Amino acid sequence: MEDFVNAWAYFLNRWEYLLETLLDHFVLVVWATLIVILIGVPLGILISRAKKMQEIVLGTVGVLYTIPILALLGILITIMGIGTRSALLALVIYGLLPVVRNTCVGINQVPEKTKEAALGMGANNLQLLMRVEIPLTFPVIFAGIRTAMVMTFSLATYAVFIGAGGMGRVIMQGIRTYNTGMLLAGIILVVIATVSLDRLIGYVDHRVKKRFSLVE
Amino acid sequence: MTREVSVELQNVDKIYDTAKVVDGINLTIDKGEVFVLIGPSGCGKTTTLKLINQLIPHTSGTILVNGEDVTKLDAVGLRRSIGYVIQYIGLLPHLTIEENITFVLQLLKRPKKEQHERALELVETVGLPVEYLKRFPRELSGGQQQRVGVARALAGDPQILLMDEPFGAVDPLTREQLQNELLSLQEAIQKTIVFVTHDMQEAFKIGNRVGIMREGKLVALGSPMEIINSSDEFVRNFIGHGALFDALNSIPVKQVLSKDIPTAREGETLTDKTAKNGWENIFLLNDQGVCLGYVPVENLDSTRTISSRNMVPLPRGCSPDLSIKRAVEEMLYNGRAWIPVASEDNVFQGVVTFQSCANLQT
Repeated sequence: MEDFVNAWAYFLNRWEYLLETLLDHFVLVVWATLIVILIGVPLGILISRAKKMQEIVLGTVGVLYTIPILALLGILITIMGIGTRSALLALVIYGLLPVVRNTCVGINQVPEKTKEAALGMGANNLQLLMRVEIPLTFPVIFAGIRTAMVMTFSLATYAVFIGAGGMGRVIMQGIRTYNTGMLLAGIILVVIATVSLDRLIGYVDHRVKKRFSLVE
Repeated sequence: MTREVSVELQNVDKIYDTAKVVDGINLTIDKGEVFVLIGPSGCGKTTTLKLINQLIPHTSGTILVNGEDVTKLDAVGLRRSIGYVIQYIGLLPHLTIEENITFVLQLLKRPKKEQHERALELVETVGLPVEYLKRFPRELSGGQQQRVGVARALAGDPQILLMDEPFGAVDPLTREQLQNELLSLQEAIQKTIVFVTHDMQEAFKIGNRVGIMREGKLVALGSPMEIINSSDEFVRNFIGHGALFDALNSIPVKQVLSKDIPTAREGETLTDKTAKNGWENIFLLNDQGVCLGYVPVENLDSTRTISSRNMVPLPRGCSPDLSIKRAVEEMLYNGRAWIPVASEDNVFQGVVTFQSCANLQT
């Protein structure tokens, strides 16, 4: 109980520093997510069209996903050195799997009959993709992005190990200086932020699905 | 009458690897006719349909649409100029009914105002309320969705409609209703319709001509009556023994009405000993020609005056457009060998009897 009191005291004392760090953390996550979307969605669409590439690409992002984060950071340091760039790349690598896989699987699951109806009415390939496949797959793609973003948010605490900022710094400092108040304040803030982020995306997701009449 | 050809297939083959799915089909479909392709599953009827709008490219032969070789046309443009209806699952679930109906117009990038006006017009054509435009496909019943499918196919005002088992997924009652609606719609719009089905009754009801396919070949071609009278063994087996009875489903009772019925006005007296033509009932009409009921001859008293006092109420009648099959069913249910026929404004048209139905062939 005393720990929580200490954490609260730390928060009251250093809230400016904490929020600043949280903002850094958030910026890192947003960048990572944006890059993941920009690479992952087109890649997912591409491999849904080229069945042969599908296995290779999904296999590769799957293997990357299973590398332990500390090992991945170690590898990235030797290639790119320490700093935010390496951290960003690590987060992008982890975020790719859910987005690429959901995009590809989602598009594959659009019923043949629906596609045939659109083609039969004279949709060309681009129109089929933009007017039928992507809107119908949107909830699945969005779920992938949501997974990636929430996952990235907690993974980003590791960025501290390679000299990037973020909430990991608060937690590490707390551990190193036996400052349980600082440690707990950092952890609680990350947890609250992660859950809030997930809820926020969930709300946006629901609104979007409602627009496309995919839920009651 | 000059025949105008709408779709022509000349020696068309479709070969997948080694399987000949469509085998040397020759077919001419006239402008404004309803042509039905029918056959057992896997006979190539749907493939043949999709060759026409080049959803499936043919291997060899020539396909002409309005006299032009389809391989020389842009496939996307060709499909936009041909209406295409499939089972109702073909509606796009993420689009409203309006957006579904105007899909082709969106692809053609027509002005928004024109799209909306067309949607309003079409939703009425297929008999759905205007409010439905704002709804989504899953909020509609199967039959309603199918009507939207037809409206959607008509949006670009195509001359040709391809319909691939469009009524296959709805219940029999709705199917019959949709068939009737399609027939009356066709009377108004006079499109060339190529219709694929596996339902013989549907084929006979909808089709001006019917083509039967088997293993990729067209084995029989002709009007429903010609098909029924075919001597070909496969055709006979395929259409089955009930074929003529099935065909009765598409012939209206007005063609077999017995009109020579004893009728009388209130207060008239029967002079002969019996009513004419061996009838034991006399039908009592009012001044508007509406039948009030019938008077059995045995009910008459010594004055032989026909009056509503000794009248028996008329059993439920039918419209002149009801199919013979339904009328016969009705007679069987009622245990009565005749059924009165009245027009929409209730004017008495005559009576259908078992005997008058039997006169159909002669």
